[in-house]
Amino acid sequence: MLAELVKAGKLPPVAQRLPKNPMVMVGYEGIGKYGGLWRRAFSGVSDKWGPTKLVDRFWAWFDKNLTLIPRLLESWSVSPDAKTWTLKLRQGVKWSDGVEHTTADWEWWYKYELQNKLISPGQNDVWMSPNKVLAKLEVVDKYTAKFTYEKPKPMLIYSNTRGGTGAQGNYGNPCCPSHYQKTIHVDTVADKAALEAEWKKAGAASWETWYINTAGCWHLNPARPVLGGWLCKKRMASELFEMERNPYFFAVDAQGNQLPYIDKVNHRLYETAEVRNLWATNGEIDMQARSMEIANIPLYKASEAKGDYKCVLAIAASHVAIQLNLSTKNKLLNEFFNIRNVRIAISHAVNRDNINQIIYNGMLKPRQYSPLPMSPQYYPKLSNAYIKYDPDTANKLLDEAGYAKKGADGIRFHKDGTTPISFIIEGTDQTGTPGEDQVLMIAKDLAKVGIKATYKYFERALYTQHYTANDIEAASWGGDRTVLPLVPEAIIFRGVQPDRPWCPGWGFWYREQAGNPNAVKPPDGHWIWNIWKIWDEEVAVEPDEAKRTAAFLKILDIWATELPNIGILGEQPYPTIVKNGFKGYVAGMPNDDTTGDEQFCQSETYYWDDPSKHMG
Amino acid sequence: MFGYIMRRVLLMIPTLILISMISFVTIQLPPGDYLTSYAATLRTQGESIQEEAIAQLRDRYGLGQPVYQQYIKWVTGIITKGDWGQSMEWQRPVGELIWERLGLTLVLSLVSLFVGWFIAIPIGVYSATHQYSIPDYVMSVISFIGVGVPGFLLALIVMYFAQTRLGLNVGGLFSEKYINAPWDWNKLVDMLRHFWIPMLILSVEGTAGGIRTTRANLLDELNKPYVELARAKGLTEQRMLWKYPVRVALNPFFSTVGWSLANLVSGATLISVVLSLQTTGPMQLRALTSQDMYLAGTFLFLLSALTVIGTLISDILLAWVDPRIRLEA
Repeated sequence: MLAELVKAGKLPPVAQRLPKNPMVMVGYEGIGKYGGLWRRAFSGVSDKWGPTKLVDRFWAWFDKNLTLIPRLLESWSVSPDAKTWTLKLRQGVKWSDGVEHTTADWEWWYKYELQNKLISPGQNDVWMSPNKVLAKLEVVDKYTAKFTYEKPKPMLIYSNTRGGTGAQGNYGNPCCPSHYQKTIHVDTVADKAALEAEWKKAGAASWETWYINTAGCWHLNPARPVLGGWLCKKRMASELFEMERNPYFFAVDAQGNQLPYIDKVNHRLYETAEVRNLWATNGEIDMQARSMEIANIPLYKASEAKGDYKCVLAIAASHVAIQLNLSTKNKLLNEFFNIRNVRIAISHAVNRDNINQIIYNGMLKPRQYSPLPMSPQYYPKLSNAYIKYDPDTANKLLDEAGYAKKGADGIRFHKDGTTPISFIIEGTDQTGTPGEDQVLMIAKDLAKVGIKATYKYFERALYTQHYTANDIEAASWGGDRTVLPLVPEAIIFRGVQPDRPWCPGWGFWYREQAGNPNAVKPPDGHWIWNIWKIWDEEVAVEPDEAKRTAAFLKILDIWATELPNIGILGEQPYPTIVKNGFKGYVAGMPNDDTTGDEQFCQSETYYWDDPSKHMG
Repeated sequence: MFGYIMRRVLLMIPTLILISMISFVTIQLPPGDYLTSYAATLRTQGESIQEEAIAQLRDRYGLGQPVYQQYIKWVTGIITKGDWGQSMEWQRPVGELIWERLGLTLVLSLVSLFVGWFIAIPIGVYSATHQYSIPDYVMSVISFIGVGVPGFLLALIVMYFAQTRLGLNVGGLFSEKYINAPWDWNKLVDMLRHFWIPMLILSVEGTAGGIRTTRANLLDELNKPYVELARAKGLTEQRMLWKYPVRVALNPFFSTVGWSLANLVSGATLISVVLSLQTTGPMQLRALTSQDMYLAGTFLFLLSALTVIGTLISDILLAWVDPRIRLEA
């Protein structure tokens, strides 16, 4: 596709398009062939992450063993106190319009975007020290820059494994095409009236809104130069979102061929899962894991021959889990949930194998919410803690905890002797879904040991309202981010992600203290203080990878003892449709947000073994 | 008659203003706003968004302002600039978004509507005039099934069979390669190949209902004295039938024009969602669930306005077909 353009003189030859020292990307299935179309499906602009994850691997990426390898950056180094990062760009990396990307872009971003109060009214945590002071940027030369933080920032590189596309809508990335941004930025453009006419014509309410969409969002503006493997052909606003290879992409394969192999990627809009599944089973989706459901694995498998594809299984980071709100406002339940042996009893009361067999055909694995075996922070002590189905132990523990008295219906009483133990498990899984079935089965198991739990479906906005107000008793909401839990800052393990409400009130306290009216101060000497202390003082500031992991395992050890969350099942297979002849993606890989879902194996190295059959 | 129409038109103005207020307030009623539902969607997709980023976006969209201020801003934009606001999800002007989908929507709805009438009226008349005959029973059974089966279910079944048995590709109105292609002969042929499924499903319900209504109404009319009189005057059965009782029996078709107009835009939303048609229905539903308020508000307003106008048209039409309703002294 590009050779013709070069011949026609519309594009410089490939040697001039690549950086001096291009990134060498090793494909999982060897050297590929050029060309072809890759068809996928998406559900609208709010589902922009499907297309975005194809192109947002950034400064560094993971190899098979989850070790970081340099990508856009040639190298980096961090000072022993983890406060100063020296970042080195590859020389001659070019934007998709052929202009070179240098630290001048970084400087421009720092001055005109990061510090512009209209564009960035508040700053992204990545560019701030934990004490909310902005990092200092120092440009050493054309290809070297330094970030200096007031407090240690050991995970900066991880915060930039994905990014640079601005798809989030909140601005903030040093790798911005400043030569393009200059022409639409109110501080740098000469003809301000013309600029104003332009954004008003686009129907925007203000310059900054328009600027962020135009300059920041790769998927909304084909004119904005990009660094990723594919570029946007036409803004994402219609039935078909088309992407095309970036002729200036900075990486090559082991033989020096410029990547990506595949020329075009199409995302087609669907309104219901049924249509998407019909497309998949009819062979109209070439490779996709996003939005494919575990409940449909039998359907995907049954149609493999007809649709000429394989349903390959990845390993999802998510877990089936229930959260008992340890900071609940209900006094009796608060007392009940906060007894360690009660949580252990509840864990023993659940028949995990039964749920696994009946709902998931035995495809999952009984385990607590914990890092996956492939994770550097895998901690089997937690994964296997209290997962044995043992109703006798459960009954014994509950009796000993002071809840021996039961009513005529077999339900235990709270310590006041008159109120039966009963709570509501909230969830957003509708009737008839595996998500609902699994909570109903858990509730049945709990009833057998004298605890009444009722599942209640809530529309998501209402659910959000309940946990934000700490008005939730318990929830059935899975847990993910277990491949590299440190990268998303272990928010679930620290209890500061309130949509997994095992302690929303405490989480608000950690973040905002009394500033949030729904915050609840944990009791003095509580183990949650230990978790927070270990995180703040030993994990978040530790530059050494091994020491960081060791410190984090201390948090997991508290989890294995205290069991804040009742994990049920995990290591869930993630169905991934892979058309026969589509190469480069292999089974058994992690599927998690942090590791780019099904783009983990670097989609630029995916290819068709016979591209001529897949020209669209 | 003219005075009557003028009066009705003038009355429409305050009605529409009231409707626009109610539409806008209604959209704000559910808890949360576009950004809470956006953040929730992201979380179910396994993405994360920082609370601070949400707060920033909220300021940017002006979502923190009181409802009446947002309303005034919206209405002023419409009146002074014809600007219906910006869709938060699509990041594009609302007018442009709706307009883009309106053409295909109207074609599909109108074709289905007329196909439905075209089949329903003759069959209904036949059934009524041949009451309790075998064909009448057969038609009655079929139309009861047609009325009883929900359109979205039918859509799922037809889609499944079209794909598994006939090997057609389903969902949408075009094959993938024609979606963004400019209009030409091939694209038209491609569209017609996809068109029959939604058309069939959309017209089934209308047809079945139409048969039942026509039959029932005509049966009422056939026993009335004026029919006897017409026969006595020596009119042929066919001429008598079509000139008098059928005209009266069709009354419901005209009196429902009021809703049909709005239905053209939003009708069969569920069916369109199931079939992934890029018509206005799914867009409206999505705007409502994601609380994309300017888009949703515009839809509610547009549909209400069409209902108001449609009611006027149906009143005029009724007066025309049914002499008994005419207001002239």
